Amino acid sequence: MYNRIIYSLIALFFVPAIASAQYTFFNPKGSFAVEASLENTDELRMPIYQNAMSSLTVSGDFILGGTTAEKGLSPLFFTSSLAQRKLAAIKPLEDFAKGQLSIGTGFSKAKSGNVFYAGTMPQPESGFGGHIIELLVNPQGQIAVKDLGEPVSGEGIFAMTFNPDKNEFYGIVHPSGKFFSFNLKTGKKQIYDQTIPSENDLDTYHSFALEPKDYLGRALVIDQQGRIYGSRAINKLFCFDPATQSFSVLKDELPFVWGREAMGRIDSWAKMPDGTIYGSNAADGQLFRLDPLKQTIVNLGKPIMMPRIMAMTPGKNGMLYGVAGASPGYAHLFSYHPQKGFRDLGNPEFRMITPGLEQGINWRGFQIASMATSQNGNYIIMGENESLSQLMVFPAEDLP
Amino acid sequence: MRIVCFIMLLIAQATGLFAYQDTSLNKSISEQNIRFINYPDFPEAHSTWGSIGYNPANNNVYVGVTNHADKVGFYEYDPARNQIQLHGFLSDLGHLRPFQWQGKMHSKIVAGPQGEIYFSTDGGESREEYLMDHPHGYAGGFFMKWNPATKQLTNLGMGMQYESIKDVEVDMQSGLVYGISYPQAHFLVYDPQKNLLQDAGRLGSAHVPRVLFTDWWGNCYYVDWRQRLVKYEKSTGKLVFAKQSLPAFPGTPGGKIVTGITAFAKDHDKKAIYLVTYGAKLVAFYPQETGIGKWEDLGGVYEMAKGEEWKPYVPNLNIGLNGKLYYVIGGHGNYVRKDKTVLIEFDPEQRKANILLEFPIGRLTEVTGSDIRDKDGNMYFAGRKRPDRSENGSVPFLIKFNPEKEVK
Repeated sequence: MYNRIIYSLIALFFVPAIASAQYTFFNPKGSFAVEASLENTDELRMPIYQNAMSSLTVSGDFILGGTTAEKGLSPLFFTSSLAQRKLAAIKPLEDFAKGQLSIGTGFSKAKSGNVFYAGTMPQPESGFGGHIIELLVNPQGQIAVKDLGEPVSGEGIFAMTFNPDKNEFYGIVHPSGKFFSFNLKTGKKQIYDQTIPSENDLDTYHSFALEPKDYLGRALVIDQQGRIYGSRAINKLFCFDPATQSFSVLKDELPFVWGREAMGRIDSWAKMPDGTIYGSNAADGQLFRLDPLKQTIVNLGKPIMMPRIMAMTPGKNGMLYGVAGASPGYAHLFSYHPQKGFRDLGNPEFRMITPGLEQGINWRGFQIASMATSQNGNYIIMGENESLSQLMVFPAEDLP
Repeated sequence: MRIVCFIMLLIAQATGLFAYQDTSLNKSISEQNIRFINYPDFPEAHSTWGSIGYNPANNNVYVGVTNHADKVGFYEYDPARNQIQLHGFLSDLGHLRPFQWQGKMHSKIVAGPQGEIYFSTDGGESREEYLMDHPHGYAGGFFMKWNPATKQLTNLGMGMQYESIKDVEVDMQSGLVYGISYPQAHFLVYDPQKNLLQDAGRLGSAHVPRVLFTDWWGNCYYVDWRQRLVKYEKSTGKLVFAKQSLPAFPGTPGGKIVTGITAFAKDHDKKAIYLVTYGAKLVAFYPQETGIGKWEDLGGVYEMAKGEEWKPYVPNLNIGLNGKLYYVIGGHGNYVRKDKTVLIEFDPEQRKANILLEFPIGRLTEVTGSDIRDKDGNMYFAGRKRPDRSENGSVPFLIKFNPEKEVK
């Protein structure tokens, strides 16, 4: 009898809370948010409208980020300590390269040392071109920045990757869509037209009211043989072989929803520790696996109903994490495992504890544009794409 | 048995049984000073959510009443004739198609410079957030304008796709309409003359503060996740952030801090804007034309036991002609008297709160509304009761209150 009373009372106490919980947020134990952006503060924070985190990587304990600014403002480089959960350094790009808007290529790591490379996009109608930027992160998280110049005069760097074995950059430039290679050691630069849209392609894009920023591939990836993959018009994947300086178009197209092929382009790539390459199509948010040997792809489907997979990064034991969906919808964190398939983890909501908010608040991630895995593989880091963007970090799951 | 007693004690604490101090009622105020006015011609009316406002151009009070699903009635109360009228439903008045359904009006109703009034619409349901591409998903909230002279509603268009507009404000000089979106808490500035909408970006964290307010110059205020005032300074078109947070009691949970302000009332003579925070603080804010002004901590909305000062829930505030503040404490499970809502008079000079009236929550459960007072000093709130506490058991009504005379 006592048990019944106790259970009834417990039920009475908790039922309203259970009944009102219509959904739950992804907030695993050990997750946290770092306040990286805030106006009018004595704390080290990025100011409003300059902090959309379009590029992320990790150097030791430090997250290294590159941002996109609003028109007329400079993007920033920043570092944040994972252990201390706070920003360590902020460097405006305008101190090193004038007239820039965005650091959107992600970071490529040099073969040795904590040296990274990123490409930039210029302010619109400024007459400036995008630059290759070299960054050195020291053990205190401070950043040394070096401008390596404009690879293609007057054009922005829309996508870029770096082969550390060859010391060579490869990129797609905006607005033309040309492909370039630039050897850091020799200074040799080559520009290719094979990736630019044809007149017919441009007519198609016009009929879909698409601008170059809407149809150019957002990322490039290098396979184990040093070949570079990206997307080109229309809904095609290309492969560039530096050994022969030749381009080929894969027989398999990007996975598409019928009628929406014109919007097909690479949104992001992820290269797993075992060499597996995953790609995503921005148009409809499909994930696929690229087989570089067979030059084929396998369509793995969509993690959620919305378009876009703007960022992906490896987890543990073959797990892939990604962010699906974007404005005007909200980002959903998802995972994909070759044996277990997709999980929609939904909106992440992590605890933010910071000076002045010692009791902690919940931070919900709506717009997320970048991801990275810590060097020890223990943390997954996400960068927001907001007017005041924060970092969101969770422990990589150790699932069998 | 000890376990049962312990659980009973837990429940008692959770329901606030021991959370108040005894305060005697003000005997000069009686039920003759307050009136509950029913909304006619809408049998399934469920609730009101801050969707009330006053138009000085015609001295009338307006209320948006929802069935909390897909039907919002638009009401006008005329104090001079003591008449309340349903003008119609937003879906009809605003020419909305079924795929543009609106769950409720959450914004207050705000007067514009030409005698018109403005408000916005809200999804109001969980399906708003998670059925974006669903056939029954939420298209987004609209800015709307009512012309009292012609009795015409103009749909001014959407704020953001898929987002509700939780609150609006209007600059009485320029006619700029300010809005805050839900759930992403984007601050919006809409110029109806030019049909220009500026999205100033996200300002909130995991929970959206519901209240915008303007100062004497038409600048608009909101709060960030640190409960710092954020001002849209119209002379520069930029956001200005206060360096310090608004006052909060020690121990106020983060979830209360991020939700900021729940209601406000303006004292035009003293040039003070009184604010209530979600952490139960009363603040006198003295804005200035440029930059953030000053504020004064007036203490708690009600005297509570130490450590529980932040608990009372006050999503409403009015100011009388006597300069005193009036508000009802209660709602969302937070009450300072067991199972009762209380009407409070707060004297900003004395910084003292007195209970004027008590209501069983079956008669008055929750009250919303900011700064609604007619030219005769009558103040108005949007109230509702939940007689059986079920989700469907909710009845909304208009509250008319005057501390200095009987109300009709």
